[in-house]
Amino acid sequence: MLPSKKVGEWKTHPELVRLKDLPSPPKELFYSGTWNPQLFHSCVAIVGSRRMTDYGCRVIEKIVPRFVFEKKTIVSGFMYGVDQYAHQVCIENGGKTIAVLGWGIKRELEGADRKLAQSIVSSGGLLLSEWEDQQATLWTFPVRNRIVAALCEDVVVIEAAVKSGSLITANIARKLKRKLWAVPGPITSRTSSGTNALINQGYARMWLGDEPTQVPIMKDPLLQLIQENELTANDLARKLGKPVSEIGAQLSLLTITGQLTERGGKYYVSEN
Amino acid sequence: MLVKINSVANVGLETVPVDVEVDVATAGFPGFTIVGLASKAVEEARERVKTAIINSGFDFPPKKITVNLAPADLPKDGAAYDLPIAIGVLIASGQLVPPKELTEGKMFFYGELSLDGTLRPTRGILLLALFAKHKNGSMIFVPSPSAAEASVVSGVTVYPVAKLTNLFGHLMSAEPITPLAHTKYKISDDEELIDLDLKEIAGQEQAKRALVIAAAGGHNVLMWGPPRTGKTMLAKALPGILPPLTDAEALEVTRIFSISGLLPPGIALIKKRSFRSPHHGVSAAGIIGGGTNPVPGEVSLAHLGVLFLDEMPEFPRSVLESLRQPMEDGEVEIVRVAGHVRYPASFTLIAAINPCPCGYLGHPRRECKCTEKQIAKYRHRISGPILDRIDLTVLVAPVEVEKLSITKEHTTNNLTSKEAKTVVVKARAIQSKRFKGTSLYTNSQMRNREVKEFCHLTPEAENFLKLAAEKYDFSARSYMRLIKVARTIADLTAEDTILPVHMAEALQYKQLT
Repeated sequence: MLPSKKVGEWKTHPELVRLKDLPSPPKELFYSGTWNPQLFHSCVAIVGSRRMTDYGCRVIEKIVPRFVFEKKTIVSGFMYGVDQYAHQVCIENGGKTIAVLGWGIKRELEGADRKLAQSIVSSGGLLLSEWEDQQATLWTFPVRNRIVAALCEDVVVIEAAVKSGSLITANIARKLKRKLWAVPGPITSRTSSGTNALINQGYARMWLGDEPTQVPIMKDPLLQLIQENELTANDLARKLGKPVSEIGAQLSLLTITGQLTERGGKYYVSEN
Repeated sequence: MLVKINSVANVGLETVPVDVEVDVATAGFPGFTIVGLASKAVEEARERVKTAIINSGFDFPPKKITVNLAPADLPKDGAAYDLPIAIGVLIASGQLVPPKELTEGKMFFYGELSLDGTLRPTRGILLLALFAKHKNGSMIFVPSPSAAEASVVSGVTVYPVAKLTNLFGHLMSAEPITPLAHTKYKISDDEELIDLDLKEIAGQEQAKRALVIAAAGGHNVLMWGPPRTGKTMLAKALPGILPPLTDAEALEVTRIFSISGLLPPGIALIKKRSFRSPHHGVSAAGIIGGGTNPVPGEVSLAHLGVLFLDEMPEFPRSVLESLRQPMEDGEVEIVRVAGHVRYPASFTLIAAINPCPCGYLGHPRRECKCTEKQIAKYRHRISGPILDRIDLTVLVAPVEVEKLSITKEHTTNNLTSKEAKTVVVKARAIQSKRFKGTSLYTNSQMRNREVKEFCHLTPEAENFLKLAAEKYDFSARSYMRLIKVARTIADLTAEDTILPVHMAEALQYKQLT
C-alpha cells in the first residue's frame, strides 16, 4: 500500500478553490504522492467507458500527448478502460496525472492497478480520495465523479454509452459550467451513443482534435491507402492486388523504420 | 485331445504371438474354462463360441474343455480370440481334421464371432498381417469386413472369412476360400484427398499464407481472432496442402487407426492426412492415450496430420501441458498396469484462440465486454513452454461482407490447395536435401546449433532482425523462431540465403505481446 496523508483543512488551500463550486463539497481529502499545488493549476478531465474500443484507444493516444505538451494535468477516475488508459498514456508521454479514486485511499490495490498507481505517484502525480477507508460500491463511483468534474476547466468525454457514469460526470461538469467536450464516434457503436447524444443535444462541444493540417502526400501506394483508413495486411493485399507475402514484408519494414504502427493486426500511419 | 492354434495379441503397436491351446478332456465333468489372464471380453468368448458352434450346425462336446492363452502372464483383451478358440474346439473334438499348415504353425486365426457364426469386424488386423509377414508362407484368417486392411501387406495370404462354416469348408478342402488379392498402395489421384480447398475460403489471405509456410516447414500455428471468422475452416484446409503420405507413413498411420478400431470397414489404407479436432472437454488420457490397456489418444491419431485445438485456453491446463512431450519428441510414452507402450505422435498443431473471453476485443463494430483482468487471465492459461513451440501466429480478422464480393476475382492471392501443395512439396525437397544425414526432416525441428549451421542471413537481413529485436524486445527463443520461419519462407522461393524480405515477412507472424 502506498503511504497516504490527509489534506489538512483543504478549504484553506488556494489551489483547491474549484472544489468549492460543488453544492456538496467533500468533507475531507486524502492523497498519496507528493503534494504539489502546481498540479491543480490547469487540469483536463478525460473520462469515458470502462469498455473502451479500439477507437477510444486511438483517440486517447492522439489527444493526451497534446494536453501534456500544453503542460496540463490529466485528471481521471482510475477505472479500467478509458480512465486508466488516459493515466497511462499521460505518464508515458512524461505528463503528470491525478487519479480520483472511487474508494478509500487506504484500500489495497492489486496487480495492474497497483503498478499503475505506483507509476502515477513516481511520475509526480497524485492519487486523491475523499475517503480514508471506504469500500468501493455502486454509489461511490458517481460521487467521486463530481470531484473529477470540479477540479478541471475542461472535461473531455472519450466514449460513453447513453446510460453511463461518464455521462454523470458530463452532467455535473455542465452544471458547474465547466467546458464540456465530447469526441464524436460512429453512430453504429454503442459506446459512442452517449458522446454523440451530448453533441446532438448541444450540451457538449464536438472535439475534432487539431485543425487539419496539410497532409503530406505519400508516394508509396501502400502508405497512401493506410493514410486514408487503417487496414490489415489482408485488406492491403486485396486492394493493391499483390501477394500477401510481399505486402507483409513491406509492412514489417515500414513498422520497423517507424513509419507505421501496428495494433491488433491493423496498421496506422505513425503520429508525429 | 490337445491342439494349438496360432493367434496374436497387440500391446500398443507391438504384436506378440499368442498360442491358443484347447484341450477337450476324455474324463471329468463337462465345463468350459479359459485361463491365461483373460479379460472380461475374453471370458465371455465361452458363450459366443459355444452358441456360434451350435448355430453353425456343429456339435459342442459336452466334455471338460480347457483353453489356455499362452504366454500366461500377458494380459489379453478383446474378442479376437473367439475364432481361434472355436477352431480349437472343433479340432480337439474330432469334428475337423487339421491341415498340415495348421500343425506347422503357419496359420493365424483372429476375429470376433457373432452368435450365428458370422464374423464381426475386429480391430488390429493390420498389425496381425504385419506380424505374420515375418514368418514364411503364413496364412491369416480374419473377418471379411476387416480383411481389406490386411491386403496392403505383401508376403502373407489373407483369407477373408465370412462365416464359421466357410472356414470349416476351407480347412476340410471342400470349398476353398479365395484369398484376398494384394492391393498395391498408390496415390494416383490426390484430388479426393482434399477435404476443403484453400480457394473456397474467402479473404484471410495472410492466414492462408501462414498455412502454406506451416505446411512447408512443419511449423505449428496459432490463429487468433473473433468467433466465426473462419479459423476452423482454415485449419481443415491444412491436411490438404501437406505433402502426400509416403507408403511407409500411410502404413504407420493405418496401424494406429487399426489398433484403435477406427478404420472404417473395407478401407485398406489411410491415405489422407488425418485431421483431429478434440473438444475442449477432453481428458489428458483422451489426448495422450490411456486406459488399462493403453489405446492411442488424439495426438497419435493426428500422427503425421493435423491436431486442431479450437478455443485453446478453454482446454484444461493439464491437457495442454501433456502436449509438451509429443511436441518435443514426436511420440508419447504411456505407462499403465498392462505395461509400457509407445505411440508415434508427430503432428502439426493448430491452435485457435479468441482475443478475449467474449471474443470481440479489437472487433471493428462490436465492443468487448471483458475486463483487463479477465483478458489477462484468459491469455495466461496457455503456458510459455507451449507457446514457445508455436512458430507462427496469425490474425484471423472478421471479413466484411462487401469485401467478400463473389463477382470480383482476386487472383493474386487465390491459391488452390493443389497449387499450394506443389510449392510445399518443393520446399520439403529442399529441406530433406539440407538435413540429409541428420535426424531432422523439417525446418521447425532445428535446434540452435542447426539454425547457426543452415540459416545464412545476408548482413541486411541480420541488421533488420536486430532492429526488430530491439523494437519488440525479443527473447533469444523468439529470435531463433523468427529465423526458422524466415528459412522456410526462403525455401518456398528456393533461395539459399535469407534475404531481408524473408525476414520481414517472418516478422508478420511473431508472437502476440
